[in-house]
Order: sequence, then C-alpha cells, then structure tokens
Amino acid sequence: MAPAQIVVVPQSPACRPMDFFEHQARARRKTFQLVAYFLAAVVCIIAAVYLAIAGVLFYYGGWGERGAAPTLWLPEVFLVVSAGTLVIISAGTIYKTLALSGGGETVARTLGGRQVSPNTRDLAERILLNVVEEMAIASGTPVPPVYVMDNERSINAFAAGTTPQNAVIGVTRGTIETLKRDELQGVIAHEFSHILNGDMRLNIRLIAVLNGILLIAMIGYILMRTGGSSRSYFSSNKKGGNPLPLVGLLLYIIGYVGVFFGHLIKSAVSRQREFLADAAAVQFTRYPEGIAGALKKIGGLADGSRIRSERAEEASHMYFGNGLRQPFVQLLATHPPLMERIRRVDPRFDGQFPRTAPVAHTADELVDPQRLAARLSAGEHVHVAAVAGASAFARRPTAAVENVGQLDAEHVAYASALVNELPLEVASTVRDPLGAVAVVYALLLNVDDAEVRRTQLAYLADKADPRANAETLHIVAFVGQVRPEARLPLVAMTLPALKSLSPRQRQGFGDDVSFLIKADNRVSLFEYAVHRLIVTRLVDRLAHRPPRSAEPRTMTRLVPAMTALLSTLAQWGSTDDAAARQAFEESVRILPGKPGSIALLPRDKCNLRTLDMALDYLAGVGPEIKKPILQACAACIAADGKATVEEAEIMRVIADALDCPMPPLMELGETG
Amino acid sequence: MEFTGISGGVLILGIGVAVVALLILMYGIGIYNRLIALKNRFKNAFAQIDVQLKRRYDLIPNLVETAKGYMKHERETLEAVIQARNTAASAGQQAAAQPGNPQAMHGLASAEGVLTGVMTRFMALMENYPDLKANTNMLALQEELTSTENKIAFARQAYNDAVMEYNTAREVFPNSIVAGFGDFPPAELFEVSAPDQREAVKVQF
Repeated sequence: MAPAQIVVVPQSPACRPMDFFEHQARARRKTFQLVAYFLAAVVCIIAAVYLAIAGVLFYYGGWGERGAAPTLWLPEVFLVVSAGTLVIISAGTIYKTLALSGGGETVARTLGGRQVSPNTRDLAERILLNVVEEMAIASGTPVPPVYVMDNERSINAFAAGTTPQNAVIGVTRGTIETLKRDELQGVIAHEFSHILNGDMRLNIRLIAVLNGILLIAMIGYILMRTGGSSRSYFSSNKKGGNPLPLVGLLLYIIGYVGVFFGHLIKSAVSRQREFLADAAAVQFTRYPEGIAGALKKIGGLADGSRIRSERAEEASHMYFGNGLRQPFVQLLATHPPLMERIRRVDPRFDGQFPRTAPVAHTADELVDPQRLAARLSAGEHVHVAAVAGASAFARRPTAAVENVGQLDAEHVAYASALVNELPLEVASTVRDPLGAVAVVYALLLNVDDAEVRRTQLAYLADKADPRANAETLHIVAFVGQVRPEARLPLVAMTLPALKSLSPRQRQGFGDDVSFLIKADNRVSLFEYAVHRLIVTRLVDRLAHRPPRSAEPRTMTRLVPAMTALLSTLAQWGSTDDAAARQAFEESVRILPGKPGSIALLPRDKCNLRTLDMALDYLAGVGPEIKKPILQACAACIAADGKATVEEAEIMRVIADALDCPMPPLMELGETG
Repeated sequence: MEFTGISGGVLILGIGVAVVALLILMYGIGIYNRLIALKNRFKNAFAQIDVQLKRRYDLIPNLVETAKGYMKHERETLEAVIQARNTAASAGQQAAAQPGNPQAMHGLASAEGVLTGVMTRFMALMENYPDLKANTNMLALQEELTSTENKIAFARQAYNDAVMEYNTAREVFPNSIVAGFGDFPPAELFEVSAPDQREAVKVQF
C-alpha cells in the first residue's frame, strides 16, 4: 500500500490546465525573453548614440589631427560612447531597482498612499482590510499592508512588491467609497492574482530598465539647455558653435525613442496579464458580477480609473484599470479597452455604463455576504472542511502540493468563515500592536504541561513588557477557545499590526517568543511555524536579508539543505527516533535522482536557525525543483498516516517559505 | 570662438565628472527616500495611538454613565471627567491632523495628563461605592479601559522610538543637508507625565 501512496497523482488536464510550478517556469522563460528584448534595445541605443555623436563630430569637422580626412568610424569614440551609455543605463536601472527593492511600500508612498492602520475604525477602510485579510489567508500568503491614496477620486488599485512577502496593496479613495463589498472583492482578487503569479517582480525590472533609458533622455535634455541658447542648433557657420546642445537634442530624441519601444514591450506584456488577472478574479470569487460591476463603475465615472499623482506613469502597468490618459495608439495602452474586459467577464453587457455614485457602506459588509458564506457557514462546517482536508492530506500528502497557487472561491469563503468564527475579543484585539503581541504569547503557552506553563508565565511576568504581560493574561482564555484550524491563520493575522512595532520592541518581542518556544526544551512544528511566520520576518530580517542563492539546478547541490529540512521536520514531527527515521526515509524516497548521501540528522543538530537557513536557500531554486521538495515535506509531515489540522496548516507555512502560496487544504468537490 | 574638435581626454573627463555627479545625486536621493520612509513610519505609529485614544474617549462617557446611578454626590468629579475627556478628544484631533508637530503634541500631552489625573481621582472615589465596583457592566468597562490604556502606552513607545530615529537621521551629516531641501521639520515626542500611567495595571487571574 505504501508505495502507491507516494506516487504523484497526475492531475486531469481538463480540470486544471497548468499547475503553479509549470506556470512559474513558463513565466521565468518569458522573463528571459523580455530581458533579451531589452538587451537588444540597449544595443540599438548604443548604436544610435554613437551615430549621433560621430555624426556631430563629422559635421563639425572631424576628430583628431587637424586636416585628417573626416570619417564616420571612430573606434575610440565608439568605445567611450558604449561605455558611457552602458554606465548611464545601468546607473538608472540600478538606482531604480534599489529604490524599489524596499518592497511595495516605496511604490505606494511614491503614489501618495497612506498606510491604513490595521486597527482602523473607519467602516470603509475596515471592509477593505477584511477583504484583503480573507484573500491572504485563503491564498496562503502573508496579509499585505494596505494603502489608500486619499487624493485620488477615481477607481483604481495596484499590487506592488518583489515577492508575496513584501507585497502591498493600494487602492484609491474612490474605490472604497464607490464599490460595494462584492465589487471590492473582485478588484482585490485581481490584485492577488498579480501577487500569486509573480507579475510584480517582472514589473519592477521593467520599470528599472525603462528608468535607465529615460536617464539618457534626461541627460540629453540637460545638455540641450547648457550653453548654446543664443545660437541656433543648426548654425550656418559650420565650424563654429558649441556642439553640446545638438548632442543633447539627439540624446533626448534617442532616449525617448528608446522609452517608446520599451513602453511597447511593457504594454504588450501588461495587457495580457490584465486579462489573466480578470479571469483569476472570477475564479477566486466565483462571482463575475463583482469584478464586472467594478469595471462598469469605472466606465460610469468621469475620472474613470485615472491616477492624478505626478508619479502615476512609473507604476502605470500595475494598476487595476488604466491609470493614464488613453494614449493615441492602442499598442501603447497598458490595459485592454474597458469594454473588452467587461465583455470577457460579462458577455451580455449592453455597453450602457451606470451612473457611479458613492455607496453608503453598512456593517453587514464587514463579513462575507451570505452568497458564499452559506456554502461554508461559520462554525461546524469550517471545522468539518478542515478535518476533511487534513485527512485527505494524510491519505495522499504529495497530492496536496498540487493545490499550490490554485485559489478557489471555496477557499475564500472558508477563510472568511474562519475569521468570522474567531472569538470576538480575539478578533478585535489582534489588529492592535500590543494585542497582536499578546495573542502570539498566548498561543505559545503550553497547554499540556503545567510545569512548563508556569515557567513561561513567570518569564512573561519578569522579563516581558509589563503591558504585554497584562494583555496576555487578559486574552489567554479567549485564545484558548480558538479552534486548531484557525490557530496558524490567527498568527498570520497578527503580522500587519506587528509590523508597526519599533525595532527595539521587535527585538524584545523576538527574544520573548524564542524563550516561550524553547521553554520545554523541544520545538514542535507549530512552534516552528510561529517562529517562521513572525520572528524570521520581523526580527531576523532586520539584521540581515537572506542571500538569494544562485539557483542550484542539480539535486546534489541541494543535499545539505534538503538533509537539514527533512531531518528537522521528521525530528520535530515525531515523538520517538524510530518514527522520525521512518518519516525521513519516506520523504527522501520522493526526491528525484535518489541522492545517496542524504542521512537523518540527530535531534540535537536540528534547530530553528538551520531550518530557516535551509528554507531560505531552497527558496531560490527553480519551480521545477520546488515541487518535489514540497512533496517530500508533505510526505514527511504526514508519514505516520495521520495528520492533524495543524499539521496540514504547517504544510502551508513551509510552502510559503518557498514562495509557493498554498490555499487551505479542504475536501473540494473536484478532488479525488 | 573657434571650434576644432573635441579631444578624447575631454570627453572621458566629461563622462567621468557626469558619473561622479550622478553617484552623488543618487546618494542624495537615497538619503531623501530614507528620511521620507522614517517620517512615514512615525506618522503610521501615531495612527495606531490615535485609534486607541478614540476608543478610550468613547469608553469614558459610558463609564461615567454607569457610575452616575451610584455616585450621586460626586457630580463635580463626573463633570470634570467629561470636561477633561472632551478637551483631550479635540487635542487628539489636532495631533492626528499633524502628528509630530510640537504644538499639537504638547497640547495632546497636557490634555492627556489632565484626563489621566481626573480619571485617577474618579477611580479612587469609586472605592467608596462597593455596589458600583461589583457592577458587571462597570467591571467590563474598567477592564476594557485598562486594556486600551496599555495599548496606548505600547503604541506610544513605538511612536517615540520612531520619532527619535527620525530626528537623529535628519540631524546627522550629510543627511542634514538633504533634509534642508525637503519638508523635514523636527518631530516631537509624545510623553504623558502622569505618575501612574507609566505603570501598567496588573490584572489578576
């Protein structure tokens, strides 16, 4: 029976056309293609700049020795020009990449965004945060910070960042004031599709290279303004005058021609992705009227989706709707025509846009509308779904990996029900910084061993912030009522509020969490998941960013990291050595190429740091390799043939660490 | 002005100077961006305080309303509480409009100090009314108030840390030069100097 379980169950192509890993692999190939286009563009620009400068020199009477025959081929000039152009383009590119590498927050602020406080009490903002939170929990990505652009009255939104971990979502004021919850959910689902498909990283690269090319035009502009203002550029006196303005003019033209072609490439990519994201929004919400309604309201608004910020241009292809004035040429539009987008989700649309007006929000909109929640009403149904998911996971652990990146309307409804079902006291406190700290402490208090719990409580009373201690004691009874399947999602919910801790507070918080985890001298998988979700991200990342590994392609290069990863999962997931050995061996069997040198590490060699390092290293490998890695992890966690709801949830944390967002494991209709 | 051609040396020198100028410019922009980020961070931090302050201003009238039935002879204290609460609420609004502004922050700090003082007196008076102390509604409100005050204090610490980081960043060289080009006024800490607000209230289980 055992071998049959390990076989990867092929997905029927009719049900899911392409899985996440193939999709990612294809996106990578496409990125290479685009980079090649851009390299070609840079070569063309160098050639053009050279011709321009050589032409000017030729016009002004040549190079070098007086009296030498003027010529157009000047190797020294060519070298200097190529070097100069490359320096300028890379300077512009590197600068922009650095400026944007701070994650999506930089982009959001550039556009005049204000971060919505996680504990906001503004109804429209609260609805927005809830919609984002549900979508994040459903997709298995961290809850992103949300920004509102208060000065923009149009309907538009964007997702920015380099990975799902540092993504942010921004919406205009007009969006939250004129869209109903369903429509807002459609817009947010569209943005999540960009996050899940890795569109954002490509976007940032495109913006950066375009910025480099733009720099040439800018330098040309500066040269044009220097000197020669009193003289005509095309002075009749052939040997006289300052040539710099003419060079400047030519550079200016070349730069803008380069930017134009760059835009052509960028826009073509962007339009295709918008259609995909619209389709995904329908899949995530199973409610085409939502996103169609939002698009129609854009059509019915005088401002439409126009972004008025001066810096709107640089992020133009990240928007939900066309943020710029409609260009003369459709080829340059970053978004497909509105009408076409609407017709693709709502074929019966008659072309009559409704009159768009602000809607009065009601408290009902805080929760998912009955339409979806009815399928998975809060309480028992969620629990049943989670238990069914866990048992399906135990039966066929490797098949669970097929769910990566496959978000469905049921997952969103599940997440919504899960959040609604939280004890009121917990739900209301988890969005506040101190409340979030207390919820994490309370979740880590040991429930089985009274002695350990006493040690933990004594530590909190003695060493932790006194207010955090008081709040923990206040909330601990309510946290105890949280169902197992909601425990890790609850940890994920604390993150937005925890991000507003000051560095000093983060340090203290990280120390406390580490102590609470190690109080019983062993680390459980749940404790690791908390550490990974919170401490790694909030505290360790402050000190050092994990190096992006240089894409190891062969399994042998991965052996040390895989050994650490699977050994630690096996040791922490099992109570005795025999079980750990069995789990480890079962998981190793899944790895392709049967690496021989992989052996179980003893328990004392497994610690939080090695596991973190292994995951960070493996996060850099290609998508084709990530799939078997995740399958091996799944097999390791579910090796004893049983899986608790929490174990199923931990699988999602591991998947998230490898940048493979996984929706909650539930028994969906089409599975099996 | 006779022009006879540009020598290679001049061109290389020109490009060199341009590259250095560019690097300096990029460095300056980097500092500018960091200052903006730090400014936004302390403003965000204030937003967290603001939400809990409002929560507290909402709770206090409920508390007074509940107490009214029992504390018939303490009208003056109750009125002082409401008065202080209203002053603090409007000071809070001003501070939220321009977090870090010295005048607004001082206004809020002193209004909060007064409010904390009268609340302490109010709580002390309550000791004389055992029935009121046992009222379940009162107990719930009091617990909520304590929790909210803790949250304010914690968020205030984060805000003060962020303000200090920002103030230091805008003062050191060469940031100070860059700070001169933009809108980076010094920000004010939010410190309430009431003796008992520094100590968290212990909750017994």
